[in-house]
Formats: sequence, structure tokens, C-alpha cells
Amino acid sequence: MSKVLQEIARAAKVSFRRLREWCGDAAYERYERAALRKKARLVTPEQFYVEQVDRKYSRPNRCC
Amino acid sequence: MKKIVSAIVWAIIAALGAGALGAIAVHRSEKISATWFVLAAVCFYLVAYRFYSAFLAAKVVALDDTRATPAERNDDGRDFVPTNKWVLFGHHFAAIAGPGPLVGPTLAAQFGYLPGTLWLIAGAAFAGCVQDFVILFCSIRRNGKSLGEMAREEVGKRGGFIAQLAVLAILVILLGVVALVVVNALKTSPWATFTLAMTIPIALLMGVYLRFLRPGRVLEASVMGLALVLFVVVAGQWVAESAAWAKIFTLSGMALTVWIIAYGFAASALPVWLLLAPRDYLSAFIKAGAIFSLAAGILIVRPEIQMPALTRFIDGSGPVFAGKIFPFCFITIACGAISGFHSLISSGTTPKMIQREGHARMIGYGAMLMESFVGVMAMVAACAMQPGVYFAINSPSGVVGTTPEAVATTISGWGYHLEPQTMINMAHTVGEQTLFNRAGGAPSLAVGMAQIFSNTIGGERLMSIWYHFAIMFEALFILTVLDAGTRVGRFMVQEMGGRVWKPFGRTSWTPSAVIASALIVSGWGYFLYQGVTDPSGGISLLWPLFGIANQLLAAVALVVATTILLKMGKLRWIWVTLAPTVWLIVVTMTASWQKIFDEKFGFLPAAKAIANQIAAGKVSAERLGALQRNIFNLRLDAAIAALLALMIAVLIVEALIRWAAILTKRSEAVLHETPYVATQWAVGAEGD
Repeated sequence: MSKVLQEIARAAKVSFRRLREWCGDAAYERYERAALRKKARLVTPEQFYVEQVDRKYSRPNRCC
Repeated sequence: MKKIVSAIVWAIIAALGAGALGAIAVHRSEKISATWFVLAAVCFYLVAYRFYSAFLAAKVVALDDTRATPAERNDDGRDFVPTNKWVLFGHHFAAIAGPGPLVGPTLAAQFGYLPGTLWLIAGAAFAGCVQDFVILFCSIRRNGKSLGEMAREEVGKRGGFIAQLAVLAILVILLGVVALVVVNALKTSPWATFTLAMTIPIALLMGVYLRFLRPGRVLEASVMGLALVLFVVVAGQWVAESAAWAKIFTLSGMALTVWIIAYGFAASALPVWLLLAPRDYLSAFIKAGAIFSLAAGILIVRPEIQMPALTRFIDGSGPVFAGKIFPFCFITIACGAISGFHSLISSGTTPKMIQREGHARMIGYGAMLMESFVGVMAMVAACAMQPGVYFAINSPSGVVGTTPEAVATTISGWGYHLEPQTMINMAHTVGEQTLFNRAGGAPSLAVGMAQIFSNTIGGERLMSIWYHFAIMFEALFILTVLDAGTRVGRFMVQEMGGRVWKPFGRTSWTPSAVIASALIVSGWGYFLYQGVTDPSGGISLLWPLFGIANQLLAAVALVVATTILLKMGKLRWIWVTLAPTVWLIVVTMTASWQKIFDEKFGFLPAAKAIANQIAAGKVSAERLGALQRNIFNLRLDAAIAALLALMIAVLIVEALIRWAAILTKRSEAVLHETPYVATQWAVGAEGD
């Protein structure tokens, strides 16, 4: 029983992580990891968010 | 043994699909259950995905999982981000699924359920999915280049120019027509107008939260926004019931036009974090929720299809939009089967985020199958209502009359029985004053969705809430397309202007941003104004134009794909992109010709008929101005259709010259792929 619960908890955790990635909630964490890996200068979450949405909405990103 | 079991399972799925398709195709006498539609579509999609997309992946484009994708090579955590394939599938689907697969099939239901359903299923599998998948592959192999860049490099400068022009034409016409859908859904409806108006302060609140309070915390802001939106859907009823508040939010079509134009301008010129981005987050969650709920509702309720397989309007005399079944069924369905706009997404964000080439099959081909399924659900929702009700909602007053009695008499005369009281009761049940003259597909789809939802939860008591939830869902994500499209259009105008005068190309320069926003808003605003003032309701004029432009862009994308396949030495498999290209060219050329010249529904004969009336002195002085404006609009639409046809002709010539040169080896078949770099990721890594 506990194994089943563990599996459910794991699946819920993975689903939540995927949901955060899908909606953009985890974008800064992902950027932080990439920047640290490349030893690039980090921008603040606020700067990152504004830059990210500016870039996203300057090209077709929503269809008819 | 495993192989035998697999073969048996797939044979059963194929037989089920063929049986269900056969059932909906030959069924005539009694009403048919929507279950057959779902079964036919799902089985067809499974077979198409398992076999046809596998063939495309292995033989035609030869996906290579050992090759590093742009996301791996350029991983910067910003544009190039290796993304789990399921997450990217969700991203890609959210980006390609707009109002088109909902509105198009709803309008095409005018021909009956059969032609639209068959085209939605087969068109997606053999044309739309192929386009999305092959263009995604081409862009991955070119470091995420856009369709325009690929067209310039692989086909020629004119091909690139046509792609850019087609995108701009689609944007302007699309934004005009979707804005008209919103106007027709909201006019004289205080409940719907209040609900949608309130989404603006909600989005602003989310914008401030995401920018200053909890930067980038999209999930928290969206949960808060969703709760508020659901609250305003319910609160809309209180507004509609209060005489004072209802007066404020009861707006005419023209008043709504002014508000929407002002909104589009503001959304384009204001900082994107303030209004556009938070609205898009809200819209994405509601869209996903509503689509899954509709699918679940159809499976639970299994509504009966009331619309006949074919209606009398296949001859082109339909009241919703004018045009014969060929080519206008295909032009009208548009995005649910194939959409040129998708090629911009397939050569935009998605190729920069894909982790492995192998994922392109599921994301490119699979997401389009899902969009086609959304189209089938919209068709079911539209055809599950009585045909008389469907035509009463979608027909303009100029065709069916203005009083309930006149509408019922006209529609009953077509052979679709309708009692005046039916429409009065239905309007009352959904909390509206009237449901007449609401062309555009959104209200009829909302009625269909509300019927399905209320049969699942709440019964007739909740019909009005479900109807306004559906209207809010459609209008919200149409406005998201409107503001995102206006902004993209603004950037395109600035880029083009920048070639003439450099400072104009600086996107952050306020005067340039304001002028470019004003230009693009005036473009679609004019089409919106034209639609609102058009006596035939506007949709019948504008939706076919949008469809032609959209299918033209798909032809551009498929020509690029065909050229690249030729250069790759895949002459043997060239038919996979060439056949849909030829089909699209035939459809768009025929549609353009008919929309311009056809005696029954062409723009020029209609303009000439009005001009003759004026010349014969049969028009009163007060109607003269409106009719002259009508003549101008018809001629303008004819010129646009001619321009689109000309672009197709130039594209065909350009492509044929290029292909002949490659085949006769007069020019070297240079592929502009990025050089091979081996992936550093092991097979079976996360996301596989």
C-alpha cells in the first residue's frame, strides 16, 4: 500500500514539475542552471521575467 | 509473438475506425450519436500516427537522434532551452490551438456534419500534420530558423518575400475577423461584456504581481487570476439583472468595435508584462481546461447529432457564408485541418526547445492531430443543436429577418423546422436578450458547449453560467490572439520600416512603436468596421478571405518543405509534401477566383449589382452613403483576393523554376543545414 502511495506521490511531484515548466513558472530556475553552467552573469528574477516576456511576444507565438 | 499481437491490435483499431467512419458517412435516416465521431477520429489518428508519421520520420526526413539539436548546442536558458518532450508538446499545442479550429468547423457545419468532419480528420493526417512536422524538422536542422529565412535561403528571395507578405496579410485579416467574432458574441449582452471587460483589470493585477511582488511566479498568479475570472463569470449575472449596471455594459456592435480597437492599440503599445503576458497565461489555462472539459463532456453525454450529413447549402446559397462546398468547406475549416500559421510556430520557439530530433514526430505531427480533434469536437457541439437553432444564431438579419417570427418562417422554409418560441426560450435559458444575428460561430459553439456541460453538471439551472463561461473562454483567447498578433504585426511593420529609415526599426523607440501599432491596428480595425457595418454580417465576407490567406501561407510552407526534400535527394518521397501543396494551390486559386468573379457570391458582381441599383435611382438618399461604402469594401476585398492569388501564382512559378534547376542539375542543390554535431546526451535521458 505504501509503495502505491509512494508511486502516486512521485507521479504527482513529476506532474507538478512539468506543469511549472509548461506554464513558465520554472523559467528562472532553468535559466539560473544554464547561466551557472556557463559561468555567465546572472540577472535578477525581475529583469529575467521582463526580458523573457518581451522576447516571447515579439514573434508569432500564438496561432489562429 | 509480440509482432502478431501488435498486428492484431492495430488491425482491430483500423477496422473500428473504418467502421465508425463508414457509419457517419452512410448514415442518413436516424440521428447518429457523437460517439461515432470520437471513435472514427481517435482510431484514424492512432493509425495515422503509428504508421504514416513513423514512415515520414524514418524514410522521408530520417530523424537522427545522434545529432545535437539547436537546444543542446546553444543552451542559454533563455531562447534555446532543452525541454522535456511532454512539456514541449503542451507548449506547442497551446501555441497552435487558437480560435480557428473552433470557429472554422462551426461555420462549416452549414454544409452538414459530413464534409467538414471528413476533411478535419483526413486533412490533418495527410496535410496539416505533415506540414507542421516537416517544417519543424527543417527548422531544427537550420538552428531554429524561421519560415521566412528558410524560404529565402532554400527557394529564393521572392519566396521569402511572399512568406513575409502572406504573414502580414493573414495577421491583418485574421485579427479583423476574430475581433468581429468577439463583437458578434458580446453585442447587447451585458453579462458577456462585463465578464470580458473584467478580465482586463484581472490581467493588470496579475501583471503587477508577476513583475513586482513575485517575479515570474506564473502558477500563483494564474491560480489567483482563474479564481477571479470564475467569480466574474458568476457576477456577470448580477450585472445583467441590475438595470443600472446592465445599461452600462449593454453595448452596440459599433461601440464594441471602438473599445476593441482601443484595447488592441493599448495592448500593443503598453509594456508586455503589464497586460499581454498575464492575459496569455490566464488564457492558456482556461483554454486547456475548457478543451479537456468539452472532450470529457462529449464522452459522458454522447449527444445526438441533429444536423443532417449534407444540407441544401452545399450549392453555395448558405446564409452563414456564401460559397459552394468545393472549395469553401476546405477554406472555412482552415486551422483544424491545415494552417499556414502553424509553420511559424514550427519554425519559431519549438525547434529551439526540442531535446532530440526524434521528439519532432510527437510534437510536430501529434500536436496537430490533437488540434484536429478540437475541430471535430467543435463540429460535434455545433451539429448537436437543432439545425434551425444553428441557422437562427448564425444567419445575418439581412438574410433571415429581424423578428422571431420572420426568422422562424425563413428557416422553416429551408426545411429546418423552427418555432419562434424556441429561440426566445433558448435566449432566456442562457441569460441573453436575444441569440439572433450572432454570426461568427462563437455564440452557437457556446450554446452547444453549454448544452453538453449542463447535461453533465447542473442541468438547465446552470445553462446560463455555462454559456457565459464558454463565451468568456472563446472571447478571452480570441483577445489574446488579437493583442499578441497586433504586437507581432507592429514588430513586422517596424522591421520593414527600418529598411527604409533605420530609426523606425528600433522596436524600443516610442514614436516608432506608436506609429507601427497605429498602422497595424488601423489595418485590422478597418476590416472589423467593414464587418460590423456589412449588411450580410461581415463573417461571410471576411472568414473566406482569412481562409485563403491562411491556406496560402500553408502552400508557401509546403513549397519550402518540398524544395528541401528535393535538395535532400528524396525525390521518391516528394509526394508527401507535393500532393498537399497541389491541393492547396487548387483550393486557394479556385476560392480566390470565385470570391472575385462568381455571379452568385463574388465581390465584383455584388458591387456591380449595388452600383446598378444606385444608377437606376432605386436607392433612397439616406441609404446611399452606406451602399457606396459597401461598394468600396467589396472592391477592396476583391483586390485583396486578387493579390493573394497573384502571390500564389508567383510562388508556383518560383518553385517550378527552382525544382527544374535542381532536377536537371543546372543548379547545385545546396542545403543550408547546420553541420552535424553529435549529441552529448545518452539515449534514455530525462525527457526521452
